[in-house]
Amino acid sequence: MRTTLRYPIFLMLAFVIGASIVSGLLAQDSGAPRSAASVTTNKVYTSLDPVPRGKEFQVAVVVNIVNGYHMNSHRPLDTYLIPTTVTPQLPAGFTLKDTIYPAGKDLKFPFSPDKPLNVYTESVTLRLRLAADEKVALGDASIPIKLRYQACNNSACLPPVTIPLTADVKVAAAGASAKAVHPELFSAEK
Amino acid sequence: MTSVKCVWALCTSALLVSGAVTACGHSGDPRPAQILASAPDVAFKNLQGGDVSLASLKGKVVLLNFWATWCDPCRSEIPTFIGLQDKYASKGFTMLGASMDEDGIKAIDPFRADTKFNVNGTEKTMDYPIVLGTDAITEKFGGLLGMPTSYLISRDGKIIKRYIGVVNEAQITKDVEDALGRG
Repeated sequence: MRTTLRYPIFLMLAFVIGASIVSGLLAQDSGAPRSAASVTTNKVYTSLDPVPRGKEFQVAVVVNIVNGYHMNSHRPLDTYLIPTTVTPQLPAGFTLKDTIYPAGKDLKFPFSPDKPLNVYTESVTLRLRLAADEKVALGDASIPIKLRYQACNNSACLPPVTIPLTADVKVAAAGASAKAVHPELFSAEK
Repeated sequence: MTSVKCVWALCTSALLVSGAVTACGHSGDPRPAQILASAPDVAFKNLQGGDVSLASLKGKVVLLNFWATWCDPCRSEIPTFIGLQDKYASKGFTMLGASMDEDGIKAIDPFRADTKFNVNGTEKTMDYPIVLGTDAITEKFGGLLGMPTSYLISRDGKIIKRYIGVVNEAQITKDVEDALGRG
């Protein structure tokens, strides 16, 4: 009898130990604050393909925010809060004309039930209005961009983080025909 | 057959308890995780440039709170902490606010001077001891999953509980009282 019992008991113990580990890991993951960088997934788009010399164009940074998290808008309502910013590091021959940040939403949170915070949630598109100079080098160019934000969920905050991104641009001769791409991202008024 | 059932029951209980304990400790939910390990031997810089080691606070119940001026949930619990310091400092309790601001004193000084908190109907500033936290220090606590994160440390230097997220005022008050009552 003892011999027949030992085998299923070992099997059960092995199952339970394995299941405990999985259950613990799942519990740990559910709702746990993530690393600051993993709160968003980001894509960069350019408005013209190619960009002719002497032309203005735009770069859009589409920031998708993980469900349950928010980040301060570019204009938070309190001076101590860290605004979301997008900053290009322009190679020679490119000029920044403007940076376009959409308005945030005034939302209240459990930790701030009386005072709303101005935040971005779900998805936000930040735009850079740029110009390619008359003498910018022809061909492929990369424009490094730094996206900086500080995110929180309903209970806790993650440290501010700076995410390096890149806009890829193909520069053509002045007067070259250029196709407008992703107009849905660039047609919005400032 | 009875012993097989018995093993299943024990194992299932162990499974449930293990999942619950893990969830409690990491969920970003302010429910505290019970730890009971020795607090790491760390030393902070205070705002005057002096050293404040956790070892030097042995004999006191310490609520170590990792916070930052830019962290709105952290700000929401500051009135609770001011109240705890006012009420229990004379009984052997101290708050220790470890700021994780990158700009350190440059960020903390104006925040402490300008920001008023409503503590039971009275406007107060953040007047409990503040020190400068660093990543190296938080690593010794196992790393921060988010802010605020607080540790309740017993008089003999053991971590009694960890709180991730905003603390519940009634819960933290009870925990501090219990810790003080342990002698």
